[in-house]
Amino acid sequence: MIGSWVMLIYQKLYGARYALRTMDIDFAVHIAHAQRRLRADLKLLITSLGFTDYLAAEGVQKFTGGGYEVEFIGQRSGGRNTGFLSVPEWNVTAIPLPFINILMDFSDVAELDGFTIRFPIPEAYFLHKLIIAWKRQSVAKRCKDLEQCTAIMQVINDERLHQVAQAQRFGKETRRHIAASCETIGFPLHRIGLS
Amino acid sequence: MKVAEKDIVVHGMLDDEYGRCREVIEALLAKVENYPRGALNVRRKQNKGKEYVYHYLVRRDGKKVINRHISEKELPELQNLIEEREKCRKEIRAYKKRMAYLEKLLNKPNPGGGRHESAAQ
Repeated sequence: MIGSWVMLIYQKLYGARYALRTMDIDFAVHIAHAQRRLRADLKLLITSLGFTDYLAAEGVQKFTGGGYEVEFIGQRSGGRNTGFLSVPEWNVTAIPLPFINILMDFSDVAELDGFTIRFPIPEAYFLHKLIIAWKRQSVAKRCKDLEQCTAIMQVINDERLHQVAQAQRFGKETRRHIAASCETIGFPLHRIGLS
Repeated sequence: MKVAEKDIVVHGMLDDEYGRCREVIEALLAKVENYPRGALNVRRKQNKGKEYVYHYLVRRDGKKVINRHISEKELPELQNLIEEREKCRKEIRAYKKRMAYLEKLLNKPNPGGGRHESAAQ
């Protein structure tokens, strides 16, 4: 699970509170390997839980139930391509977004309320938000991203943050975005370990 | 009167939610269009001591009421489709209700004139 619902997990595990979240629940999916064999029919699984599937803009498949919306996100490699990513292994389609691999590559698993949930470690979530905040077109969303960073700042482990940052290859613009976010929330840039 | 300053994050999130509701409704309405219209009706007829059950799909077309006979073979699939359609409509009603609430919070004009509940029925 990625997106703002992760904050609820951080609240339960680390006591970092941030209450604002929309009703869409995002899940990240790996699309790196070209294995086309169906591993699990997520569409069938989710609709059998009472959700209704529908095609949103650009043909992306989403699910809605009880006012909640479930959608899948995949790593977007390259430029600003639109459309959707087909994930035949899980029988779903995913929205391509950049920097999603940060969240997937550094994740942890928790057992909460009888569910096993994989979620990004706070350091990965923090770095991801620092980056995407300045890529947002909406000022409100940018502020929300940075507020979430502020909420989890207290539980950030510098060593793990270094590991996450060192595993990435950032361009100049992304580095600028990280620096701008750090300045906004008052987080020392050197703690990320980017020179 | 003291007026609270607008919180950009809260307002933005509510605005996003409003936009999301609208998009979901549009997508679900498009989906509902592809499902069969009408309701299933059962007619029972007695003949020579035996009871015969006939299923019909009843729908309105302007002032006319159209009854289309449904064979036993068609029935399970049609029942599934109608069930799916009702699920979609239920979702649409829930989203319209939420939109009506958000319209009040965000001071947005209500294009439905407060008829959100009935519009989806």
